[in-house]
Amino acid sequence: MIDAMDKAAGLSPDDGLFTSRRFRPEFVQGAEECRLSVLQPTNDQGLVPDLRAALARRMAGLNADQVLMAEYDTQMVGLGSTEQLRALAHGATELDEPLATIARHVDLITLTPSRAEAKHITLLADAGLNNPQIVALSELIAFVNFQTRVAAGLRLLRSA
Amino acid sequence: MMSSVRLKPLNWHPYIAPVELSEATPEQLDAMKVTPSAKKVSDYVRTLAHDPESYLARTILFNAIMYVEGGLARPDRELGALGASMVNGCKFCAVVHARRHAELTKSDDVVTALYFDRPETLGSRDAAIYSFARRLSVTPPEATADDIAALRSVGMDDIEIIDLIHAISIFGWANRLMHVLGHAESGKEAACRSRAHTGCLQ
Repeated sequence: MIDAMDKAAGLSPDDGLFTSRRFRPEFVQGAEECRLSVLQPTNDQGLVPDLRAALARRMAGLNADQVLMAEYDTQMVGLGSTEQLRALAHGATELDEPLATIARHVDLITLTPSRAEAKHITLLADAGLNNPQIVALSELIAFVNFQTRVAAGLRLLRSA
Repeated sequence: MMSSVRLKPLNWHPYIAPVELSEATPEQLDAMKVTPSAKKVSDYVRTLAHDPESYLARTILFNAIMYVEGGLARPDRELGALGASMVNGCKFCAVVHARRHAELTKSDDVVTALYFDRPETLGSRDAAIYSFARRLSVTPPEATADDIAALRSVGMDDIEIIDLIHAISIFGWANRLMHVLGHAESGKEAACRSRAHTGCLQ
């Protein structure tokens, strides 16, 4: 069965790499469980799935990942996203709070994680995020940056 | 001949209050694998336990990527983790995985070359792995078919390269937790801080 990572990497069951990837069933299943835990969690901590999909789309854009950008755009259509979330997803900076603060944080941590400081967590708290939301947001940011790298690496390996 | 770098473990301090075990939900306790006999759960684990679902899923995947049997040799996974951690600026992760690489290879040579920014002194296999780790870790990723060709030229097969891609990528994840949700300091810095009023030379 084709999963989200196969789709992102452009793998079909005919590819040798599709089979090679299954040498590590722990990675295949583990990555899918992680994806669900940050994009469609049972307890979303008040960060709803359409916000999560919009942020994922924004980060796919920062990673210049055309396949994942299209995938998250499709997911957003399915979730019936608002105009604000569509703007957020496509990189806008003029947003209502707390979306503007969240967007700045997502951009910083995706592009230049080395620049993260204590004040950036304070900004999230000042925008109204509680501790579970700060952690859940951090995990979502971290996951999409994982996903884009695995997908990029597999694409290179497939075509090399 | 370079002298060896000396890396001491760092301490990690969260920017937000971790979950207190006495106030944790059953789901949080389960995610943290807290047993009645457990006395101490790290600040890092208790911080991530604010969102137990993602913590549990990531821990299972992380352990598989770094410790699963066969495939890519353990030191090579540690080198991928180290390269990613250096790009992402996670000092804590970098020190942990540099030390682990040195333990596994019984040599400080690779770690010393990287901490003194002398990657040109690496052997061809380490150089190919480190370069790929750096180029896959930046945003957006800059790795190309040349990186894959370099890995193949030192004898790596697809299974090993898939393992390496995951080792690098999972640190694109871990670094964005550890370096974002808290900061690292050495035991010496902590001691200086506690003696701040008596003065302490760096």
